[in-house]
Amino acid sequence: METAFFELRGISKYFAKVVANKDVSFSIRRGEVLALLGENGAGKSTVMKILYGLYRADEGQIFKDGKEVKIQSPKDAMKLGISMIQQHFSLVPAHTVTENIILGNVGGVIDQKLYQEEIKKLAGVYGFNVNPNDYVRDLEVGVQQKVEILKALYQKASLLIMDEPTAVLTPQEAQNLMEFIRNFAAQGNAVIFITHKLKEVMSVADRIIVMRAGKVCGDVKRSETNEVELSKLMIGKDLEQVRRDELKAKPAQKPRLIIEKVTLEEQTGVPALKNISLAVGQGEILGIAGVSGNGQQELCEIICGAQFPSSGRILLDGEDITNKDIRARIEAGIGYVPADRSRDGMVMEMSIAENMLLKSSFDKKWQNRGFIDQRKLNAYTQEQIKEYSIKTPSTEAMVRGLSGGNQQKVILAREVDNGEKVIIFDQPTRGLDLGAVNHIHKVILKERAKGKSIVLVSTELSEIFALSDKIAVLYKGEIQGIFEPAELTTEKIGLLMAGFKIGEVREDAS
Amino acid sequence: MQAKIRDLIITNLLAIVLGIVSSGIMLLFLGENPVSAFTILITSVVRDVYTFADIFVKATPLMFTALSFAFTYKANLYNIGAQGQFYIGAIIAVASSLYLQDILPGWLALLITLILTLLGSGLWGGFIGFVKARYNSNEFLISMMSTYVALAIMNYLLRTFLMETKAEYPQTDALANSVWLPRIIPGTRLHVGFILALLSCIGVWVLLYKTPLGYRIRAVGYNARAAKMSGIDAKKLYILAFCISGALAGAAGFTEVNGVQHMLVQGFNPDIGAAGIGIAILANGNPIGIIFASILFGALKVGGTIMGQMSAIPSSIIELMQGFVMVFVILAYFVRSWLENNREKRKLQKAVV
Repeated sequence: METAFFELRGISKYFAKVVANKDVSFSIRRGEVLALLGENGAGKSTVMKILYGLYRADEGQIFKDGKEVKIQSPKDAMKLGISMIQQHFSLVPAHTVTENIILGNVGGVIDQKLYQEEIKKLAGVYGFNVNPNDYVRDLEVGVQQKVEILKALYQKASLLIMDEPTAVLTPQEAQNLMEFIRNFAAQGNAVIFITHKLKEVMSVADRIIVMRAGKVCGDVKRSETNEVELSKLMIGKDLEQVRRDELKAKPAQKPRLIIEKVTLEEQTGVPALKNISLAVGQGEILGIAGVSGNGQQELCEIICGAQFPSSGRILLDGEDITNKDIRARIEAGIGYVPADRSRDGMVMEMSIAENMLLKSSFDKKWQNRGFIDQRKLNAYTQEQIKEYSIKTPSTEAMVRGLSGGNQQKVILAREVDNGEKVIIFDQPTRGLDLGAVNHIHKVILKERAKGKSIVLVSTELSEIFALSDKIAVLYKGEIQGIFEPAELTTEKIGLLMAGFKIGEVREDAS
Repeated sequence: MQAKIRDLIITNLLAIVLGIVSSGIMLLFLGENPVSAFTILITSVVRDVYTFADIFVKATPLMFTALSFAFTYKANLYNIGAQGQFYIGAIIAVASSLYLQDILPGWLALLITLILTLLGSGLWGGFIGFVKARYNSNEFLISMMSTYVALAIMNYLLRTFLMETKAEYPQTDALANSVWLPRIIPGTRLHVGFILALLSCIGVWVLLYKTPLGYRIRAVGYNARAAKMSGIDAKKLYILAFCISGALAGAAGFTEVNGVQHMLVQGFNPDIGAAGIGIAILANGNPIGIIFASILFGALKVGGTIMGQMSAIPSSIIELMQGFVMVFVILAYFVRSWLENNREKRKLQKAVV
């Protein structure tokens, strides 16, 4: 048998609170595309960071072409031809493409022209449309990723590791990336990509390593498996699909939350939101689709009161709330599950019970003669822990110690109670495993059934389609159109998200 | 949890012992015998009730200035101006006492003096919070510089309005007996200010951990953005936290003037603010821990003074010892989290094997 290009044998890594990897072994051959599939927290990224030298394994060995190698740092890894593209890019925005690519690879006087030519040629070989003189800060995310890839290619990488490469891309961009991956591998290189999306795996990988709870629990050829089998391997049990039609569609209700011609100008004068008009009825879910960074966060913050629009109005049940601050809007019944929960949604160093109190510390209901009514708060927290099956030793546990999914459930429990009228969900399932995603989807549908108005922002199209009554597409701060889910195909929405106008899309689609 | 508390006690005791041993080594350089020096240190503080009680007298203002630093520290703010707030408190205490001692009964004069002191030093501290909230200035610098302003105000007043009748030294007249803080133990200097300090420690703990206001202060301290997104007005809390912090430091001025000095002398207790910061860090900002840390520092201070009197050893060796103890206690904090980490890791390894 052919010796493996790279092989990992018995890799284990322990962190203080978790076993990240336990006895992980697998290999990759030249010319192969390997998908590393698993839920979040399954240990995929950790094992790749070990291969790339960012972490050191507590146990185990790594082999290249049958010889043992020691990888102590990314520098060692690069010498062996390993390059890793992180989920969050490591580019310098204020530098040009060329400067970013040669960063760390040059010395002495830099001959800009020469490098620019080299990079242009390299980009040409792989059909990348990248101008080496552009500043990275002006580039779109998809192009930035290409710059990252060029950087790896420039260093003559022969094993490319990509961590969730498609998370930030439009469907079309993702397609292009997949093509590149195939091409690159066909030239005798190898690619490992980390993902939890089954579809991608089936479309591009030759072999699939499935990880669960830090261990390898499946090593299968793509040709011998299917999506159902993979998802079973991944979560260890059958998936219970959320059925959208379980809840009957209601006749249109009168609108509860109305956003009228709202524009938000940033300090630079560039509008982050342009003339947005939306309406959400009672018992209705409005899905906001779009590639992240197109104004979603600003839209959410305008609704919850963290930012005030430069012009336009916001109405809740007919009452103008445009000038009300966050606290007044919380009291008016607007709940907000932010995308960045650790930054905007919770205090990591506080207990679950204390986090439950975060938005209602002014509320008399939690006070007893001016003191916090600890007993009542604990009882309530205990109830929520049970209802949302939050895995924790006690109500006093620090939220920092909880897994991402359980942290999200804490916020969810709080906001569902806070948002008596409107709940905004910004990327409620990002980075969560399938079990937790399922649970959260059920909660969203349950709140809809109670007659609450829901704004659901997500970059996962499947999520938007599965839950929304209406779908609005956001591109560069503008609404591209509001649609019934049935009107849209994945392709059509992909084009809308990429900035094509409705007219253009119609022509393409017909 | 058990292991955690055990770690806490052992590492802190070890830190204190190491601090003493290290300063003992320093004594060797001076050609002194550290064992006999420390024997003097320990026996001297327990030789009579007066000296022993003095430990708590010294600990009293330290508790206040340490609380002052710890309180804003919980809101992730740095008030290093406790020294200035202490002087402002002392000025108001002495001025109010001198004015009221002749017209009101002692207890009433004391009560009004206390209230005025807290208000005045609270406003003085609150100003730092105000410029922080309003102009986003750096509270670290503002609080530090405000100390020099307070010092200048004190010097000015002691040369003019508050200067003693003899007009000889920059100090005030002595306060009348009626406005002295009552002694707890007769024959010692221990006054009710110590009880006040203890109650303040407990009060601050209750405020921080049991009331919605303290909860909000901590929430802003840990994660200002999440607090803002939850409708908590951080700016208002900055001002309030600095007000309370200033009032706490000012209270030390009251207890020192009315309890110990019975007058105001230019530039007295010049290191009380810095020592408070050290103690607060030593106690990791915990108000209850501050009680013990302050008593430890009080004991070192008293012992150091006597050691300086009774032997050729300079009493500044005590400051060295304080420094060493502080360094080791801070190191102990990291040792504890390392121990904790390893324990969890071992537990995990055992569980999976």
